[in-house]
Amino acid sequence: MPPQSHDLVRRSMSKIMLSDDLRNYLNRLPDMELDLLLEAYERPLPEAFRVNTLKASEEKILERLKSRGYSIESIPWARHGYVVSGGGDLGKSLEHMLGLIYIQGPVSMAPVEALDPRPGEVILDLCAAPGSKSTQIAQLLRGEGVLVANDISFDRVKALSSNLQRFGVLNCVITLVDGRKYPRFAKGFFDKVLVDAPCSSLGIISKNWGIARAWSIGIVERLSELQRRLILAAFDCLKPGGILVYSTCTLTVEENELVVNWLLENREGARVSEIRLKGLRHRPGITEYNGVRLRDEISKTMRIMPYDNWAEGFYIAKIVKEGG
Amino acid sequence: MRLLTSAERRYLIKRLEDQHGVEDAFDDLVLIRTGQGRIRATTKETYEAACRLRRVQQVGLYVAKMVKGDVILSIEGSQLLGAAITKNIIELSEEEAEEWMKAAPIERSEKIESRYVIARCGDFYLGSGRVSRDGKIYPQVAKWRRIPEE
Repeated sequence: MPPQSHDLVRRSMSKIMLSDDLRNYLNRLPDMELDLLLEAYERPLPEAFRVNTLKASEEKILERLKSRGYSIESIPWARHGYVVSGGGDLGKSLEHMLGLIYIQGPVSMAPVEALDPRPGEVILDLCAAPGSKSTQIAQLLRGEGVLVANDISFDRVKALSSNLQRFGVLNCVITLVDGRKYPRFAKGFFDKVLVDAPCSSLGIISKNWGIARAWSIGIVERLSELQRRLILAAFDCLKPGGILVYSTCTLTVEENELVVNWLLENREGARVSEIRLKGLRHRPGITEYNGVRLRDEISKTMRIMPYDNWAEGFYIAKIVKEGG
Repeated sequence: MRLLTSAERRYLIKRLEDQHGVEDAFDDLVLIRTGQGRIRATTKETYEAACRLRRVQQVGLYVAKMVKGDVILSIEGSQLLGAAITKNIIELSEEEAEEWMKAAPIERSEKIESRYVIARCGDFYLGSGRVSRDGKIYPQVAKWRRIPEE
């Protein structure tokens, strides 16, 4: 989708309220176009879903949806992913209730594509609830191998459990553990680990403007500390040669590049790997921030602004544990 | 949460054969008993991985529930058995399937002898329904799974 005219940008700027702290913070970020960001925040996110190939053939499910008046367009970077328009409320459809589709943002599908699950692998989703990415991993495992979906919150685990059930996942285990403590019993156990970390969510403000109102640098610093512990735990749970994907739906450097840089400085065997996702517009990770030079390999990580694809903003890093 | 004993497993398989004509149901899967007669199915590898982990909340997929000697299949349990279900199965239209997923009773003109039937809409299986004395079929769809009323 092309950017809209400057008139529209000005009009949208008048609607969204950012605190001075947040505006100043965003303005300081390298490569930031604040007008476009505000415009993206004003737009509703595109509605998208994945077809559940664990339950039926892709063609059959798409045919059903088309016959009900939905217009469907494939998402280039996500296998089985589609953007949808027209038709009724997808969340109340028979297809959704039967688990034939899973409603999920288009860019939110990218971290699992970067992880690239293969049948037979043992994979941990460390912060799994409500289960969008867990169901995506399960789909790509095709019933072979094991998915371990973990979360720290009992209430959120209930939603995770419902979604894995609706999706029809046989080869899954749900655990309720503080992710930071996972290596105590599962060190070196997994082929791949996904950390879709809790974050300040600046990439999805269009879903909920309250995020912008609640934002503070104090929250970011606290989250950054938690994220550092989580990424380290996730790395320690990997087998040698294993792959870790770290992702957030936020834009702050403290929660993204600085977290990955911290891992690289604290684990000798950690190496950043290139991510290739067809058609997903993005920019390289930031390697210089507040006068501090980060590791060069951070530039291989992916920073996705909401206005890059007129969808969610995300950060994705793929890390390989040497020695496989 | 514990594995089904071989006697429990034999009983479940026998009931599924009697009720729905399924032979050797869930043959290649590990079956786990959880609370309230619920049965979950998973792979051997998944079960072994679960044994290594801590604070395990759930393993595998909820497939069935035993109630007073009858087997009630979940939506996923019936989908998993699919074409192996040959007895006490009713075919629903798209409109009826929507009603079923709202847990609305379905009327059938033909007499059904069994206490439970499985509903199917084309290639998709929608789990068990209880046959009432008034001839209506009450879908056993969990509340969280129902299509909300307008």
